[in-house]
Amino acid sequence: MASLISFIRERNKTTPTWLKVLVPVLALGGLGVVAILAVIVAFVITGWLGQPVPVLGFDQTFKQPIDFPHTVHAGTGQLTDASGQVRRNHVGEELEALGLDCTYCHRTVTTQANAGVPPVAQCAFCHQAIGQENSAPLTQLRTNAGIIGDGASPINWKRVHRMPDHVRFVHEPHIRYLTANPSAIGNAAEGVNEAEAVKPALTCSTCHGDVASMEQVEQVEPLKMGQCVDCHRDNGAPTDCAACHH
Amino acid sequence: MAVDVDKCTGCQACVLACQVENNIPLNTQDRFERNRAISWIRVERYWEGEFPNVKARFIPVLCQHCENAPCEPVCPVFATYHNAEGMNIQVYNRCVGTRYCANGCPYIVRFFNYWEPVWPESLRNHLNPDVTIRSRGIMEKCSFCVHRIRRGVRKADSEGRALNDGEIQTACQEACPTDALVFGDMNDPDSKVSEMKKSDRYYTLLPALGTSPNVFYLAKIDEDREVAHAGAEGEAGDGH
Repeated sequence: MASLISFIRERNKTTPTWLKVLVPVLALGGLGVVAILAVIVAFVITGWLGQPVPVLGFDQTFKQPIDFPHTVHAGTGQLTDASGQVRRNHVGEELEALGLDCTYCHRTVTTQANAGVPPVAQCAFCHQAIGQENSAPLTQLRTNAGIIGDGASPINWKRVHRMPDHVRFVHEPHIRYLTANPSAIGNAAEGVNEAEAVKPALTCSTCHGDVASMEQVEQVEPLKMGQCVDCHRDNGAPTDCAACHH
Repeated sequence: MAVDVDKCTGCQACVLACQVENNIPLNTQDRFERNRAISWIRVERYWEGEFPNVKARFIPVLCQHCENAPCEPVCPVFATYHNAEGMNIQVYNRCVGTRYCANGCPYIVRFFNYWEPVWPESLRNHLNPDVTIRSRGIMEKCSFCVHRIRRGVRKADSEGRALNDGEIQTACQEACPTDALVFGDMNDPDSKVSEMKKSDRYYTLLPALGTSPNVFYLAKIDEDREVAHAGAEGEAGDGH
């Protein structure tokens, strides 16, 4: 052992300074390359299996321009804040979630390809009267709706569920089928009686998860082609490529 | 699809309609000069006779959706295949751009995207949202306006009825001022295309190749010529 240490000391005396600097730099650089490769490999593998890990700016949740809580609008039962306290209005009454049907705002979902995001005017229809005056998101909404000031403009909602450009997804036939065949609904919410046709809103959870319990909407299903094809096979829907890719 | 050549005036409305409907990039002079222009349907023009008795003949040529398509078996990634409706389908997201299919096609109706498609800013909002924009490096061709077929089928389904004959129109058919192009279900014996198929003017393009196209043509009627190929089975199609 002692001879080894003395050998290294002896060698270090003769090693040029540039080499002493270069070796650790290369070692660190190699580690860096390995680390970057590991991140990329993890990204690709997880992306292949489901959703990619949220690295390289690939994140599934979006900060929307207005903090729209689906819990308040589409949820049911008492509203609680982040600390678990029951939310109360300005006169101290306990607040309950509204329990709106999805189709109340996403109006074209049963007839067209896109579910549709409501115009600001539809939000303002209720919110010109309802809601606290000092609430930041509502002030933003009322500004966008032109109730406060002159700067009326649409809200630039960020799209959460996005299909690739070569996929043509149409909501209408899916909802038509699922309302008639409730047994095919995945993640079945409560109140789904398999024997009879259901309301369109109960079918949404198949692909979108329980949006009513989400403070900030995020994509919970991978929504990749494998998932589409599995469901299409199980339900006898067309698996012809041109059914969706054209 | 049936094409009544007798009705075609060579006005090119179908070409333009197809271009707009299917998000086909603008064919600049440069692209034509390099033989890389994309047009899913083209009107071929032939001159017949000597001056002063010259006649122009027009034949719209689009993907023939062959039953026995030469483009299909050569694709290494199954990006083109025959579906149950008898259409030759091009799956853009599968295509890797080998161009074997275009080399195999005797009708020259397959087109390769040599460049990323670009439109002037003023045309960006005119793009059809139902049709995928094909990026650089992949093949494309007439789809028989499959998005219109899907829309028609969906509409009929939601109304709980069967499809009516003539309900689904392709863009070229819709634009044709003389109704020379007719799209329909050839399995339905009462459809208009089935009626037209019984005509003695029936012929297909390049029948000797045995591709058995799903697009057929009705020959031109002339004052100074007998109805082409009347009763001459097997020889049909070698005239035009």
